[in-house]
Amino acid sequence: MRGRLTGVRPLLHVALKQDRKNIAPWIALISVLSASSVLVYDWVFPDPQSQQILQLNITANPAMSLIFGKPIDLTTADGFNAWRAGALGAFFAGLMAIFIVVRNSRAEEDSGRAELVAAGAVGREARPAVAVAMAFIAAVLLGVVSALVTIAFGGGVANSVMLSATFTTSAMFFAGVGIVAAQLGSDARSASTLAVTTLGALFVVRGYIDSSGAPDWAGWLTPFGWLQATRPAVENIWWPLLLVVGAAGVLVAVGWALHARRDFGMGLVPPRPGPARAGVVGTVWGLALRLHRPTMVSWMVGFAVIGVLLGFLANTLTDVIADNPAIALVLASGAVSENDLVGEFLLTMIRILGIYAAVHGVQIVMRLYAEEAEDRADPLLGGSLSRARHLGSHAVIAFVSTAVGMVLAGSVMGWVADATGDTIGFSDILGQAVATIPAVWVLVGLAIAVVGAHPSKRLIGWMGVVATFALTILGPLFDLDEWVLDISPLWHVPNVGAADPAWLGLVGLAVVALAFTTVGFVGYRRRDIA
Amino acid sequence: MDSVISVEGLVKSYGTFTALHGLDLEVARGEVHGFLGPNGAGKSTTIRVLLGLLKADAGRVEVLSGDPWHDVVELHRRLAYVPGDVSLWPGLTGGEAIDLLGNLRGGLDEERRAHLVERFELDTTKRGRQYSKGNKQKVALVAALCSDVELLILDEPTSGLDPLMELVFQEEIEAEKARGRSVLLSSHILSEAEALADRVSIIRDGLVVETGTLDQLRHRTRTQVRATLERAPHTVDELAILEDAHLDGVHVRGAVEAERVGEAMALLGGYGIAALTVSPPSLEDLFLRHYGESGAAATDALPAAQAADPGADYHGRHSPPEE
Repeated sequence: MRGRLTGVRPLLHVALKQDRKNIAPWIALISVLSASSVLVYDWVFPDPQSQQILQLNITANPAMSLIFGKPIDLTTADGFNAWRAGALGAFFAGLMAIFIVVRNSRAEEDSGRAELVAAGAVGREARPAVAVAMAFIAAVLLGVVSALVTIAFGGGVANSVMLSATFTTSAMFFAGVGIVAAQLGSDARSASTLAVTTLGALFVVRGYIDSSGAPDWAGWLTPFGWLQATRPAVENIWWPLLLVVGAAGVLVAVGWALHARRDFGMGLVPPRPGPARAGVVGTVWGLALRLHRPTMVSWMVGFAVIGVLLGFLANTLTDVIADNPAIALVLASGAVSENDLVGEFLLTMIRILGIYAAVHGVQIVMRLYAEEAEDRADPLLGGSLSRARHLGSHAVIAFVSTAVGMVLAGSVMGWVADATGDTIGFSDILGQAVATIPAVWVLVGLAIAVVGAHPSKRLIGWMGVVATFALTILGPLFDLDEWVLDISPLWHVPNVGAADPAWLGLVGLAVVALAFTTVGFVGYRRRDIA
Repeated sequence: MDSVISVEGLVKSYGTFTALHGLDLEVARGEVHGFLGPNGAGKSTTIRVLLGLLKADAGRVEVLSGDPWHDVVELHRRLAYVPGDVSLWPGLTGGEAIDLLGNLRGGLDEERRAHLVERFELDTTKRGRQYSKGNKQKVALVAALCSDVELLILDEPTSGLDPLMELVFQEEIEAEKARGRSVLLSSHILSEAEALADRVSIIRDGLVVETGTLDQLRHRTRTQVRATLERAPHTVDELAILEDAHLDGVHVRGAVEAERVGEAMALLGGYGIAALTVSPPSLEDLFLRHYGESGAAATDALPAAQAADPGADYHGRHSPPEE
């Protein structure tokens, strides 16, 4: 065994040096996620009454559980943190681990660097071992930093350590998923897609279980459920983590076994010969379609699946409300009507859908820069292709694909909701989904602006999505001022179901999207190609 | 002169680093122009400005009588480009990439395409990620050579090709020239430029330091002379016409200005010539003259003692302006 792992130490040293600037932002993001909820809690919810209202609001809107998990106890800062940062932090920790593993295994092979390394005195299992070790180191570091920062901002010691430990183990589990995917995919991009799809699917299933009032045993169906079974800040049960770590170990072992059976640079599925002549790929539009096709297909499947889940969820709302005596009391008092709750629930779900669509759109736009960075833009732009048409071929796909996705998800959700109950109608749902499209386009436009004009600042494109998510989903809970919430494009989407929808918001969104896009096109015309 | 490429005083900086300091370059219609220089001299930067991928900071740049930054689409229909480091789409086959790139140049010649695929022995059904470096290069070459264009811009086009394919490449470039096409051939493979180029420009640190036909450049450089004489001269000073002269009994080695070869022969004739080699400078000699510091060891014509410090006397005469 020792011989098969020869070279791990020096490789790990180099990998850590190379990769730390990619890992640090993830650790910072998740730590801030956790620390910030502790920090703001006492300030926003200073008295028991406001804490009770919070608990009620969240419980009354199961769409929130879709993202954050079931609220257990939101009347303490640590309990609130466990809810707000728990599922989401585990999700991001998983993403971090997948990217670390794929970057240090599959992407290295694609670039040819791994070939240099493999030709050295390096054991067969050393490269996957380094990739997994990197992810584990990052996982432990994440746990330590997140716990320290959260405690520093006022979190309880045991509670914060428990919560941070769920992040660490989530990262370890998905490092295992990543190393398996890295053996199956035929290149880094398909390996990431496979692993992230697995992560996303498990997260969505977890969300559905949490928000649909499913029986308790259903929680055990996903690793996220195992993490939740630790009940951080409420009971702090440690043993479920062992289950997660054990599963991570099994996945890593499977990954290694697959690695030993696979040829260098290839996936387990051997490549087949392709067409000798170009069909639609012969034009720049066909090329863009072909480049984005795999991504678009998997996202469309995602839109449809989420549509189905949200559709079913729409009709569980009444059950959830009926199950909660506190909400029944509020409803009885006449302060809010059930219609208000349904409306708020629908809005939240469609907003989540909008953010999902925005991630898809921004990803398509970012691909344009990846093509440029990998020297594939040169031969195209060296042909009779204007910069505008090159950017346009990707931009149009980003706009159309996000719009189609929203319509698809809205239709599926409306159809399922209509067929399974009468809480919300088809046209309300589809109408709201369509009205959200311009807001999604603002975020796509922002990505086009940065990639077009200033690709070194392309992170801003992703930050736009993250900020929109934070403001739209969390902002209202924190009683933020209206002008702050107004930064989020989703905040300007009219409520189609309202008596007098603010249609003017759509015009504003369209103008901003157009302005961003124009900046991108003008900037792309003026700058050097990397 | 009818130029297809005309560059004057081109300056391009990346941040604080200046890659090109006022570069001049003329490529005449119908010629193969060798663009020579070592790695990092600014060849690729120049080419990327010519393609409108980079914006010139200063200077006048004309390609096919148009402005490469503004008339992109129109110009690029009339030229084809092969990058030095070809990166293909991992999921696209070589055949698909050839068609795509050909279509972006205003169409490709089907007959030429079939001919070139066969000549370069290219399997067009493989995916981009499966190709070796040389095969990727072939995909880009076939795509460029089968398009119907006036100007070929080739940036180290043969890196990664095996010697057989290198020969095929040279024949195909000859054929392109016979069709009246102009070629800018950036290279550091001197034999290739020597075989193909009508004129060459040598670039160093972002400046063109020599330009002209090979004959003209040769004329500016010294011819190497080796002789075995019948009578030995007393001292090396008697052979003052030879530079870097080295005398070992009856064996003489040295270099002479191209226009003074006759004089040197007359002088040596006085001692009686038993054996004689006169070699005109190769492109390699020209090249090494500008990059002498690093390449001195390769010039076997120089005596070892002087080879150790060739810069001093080599750079004395035809000094490029920036030295």
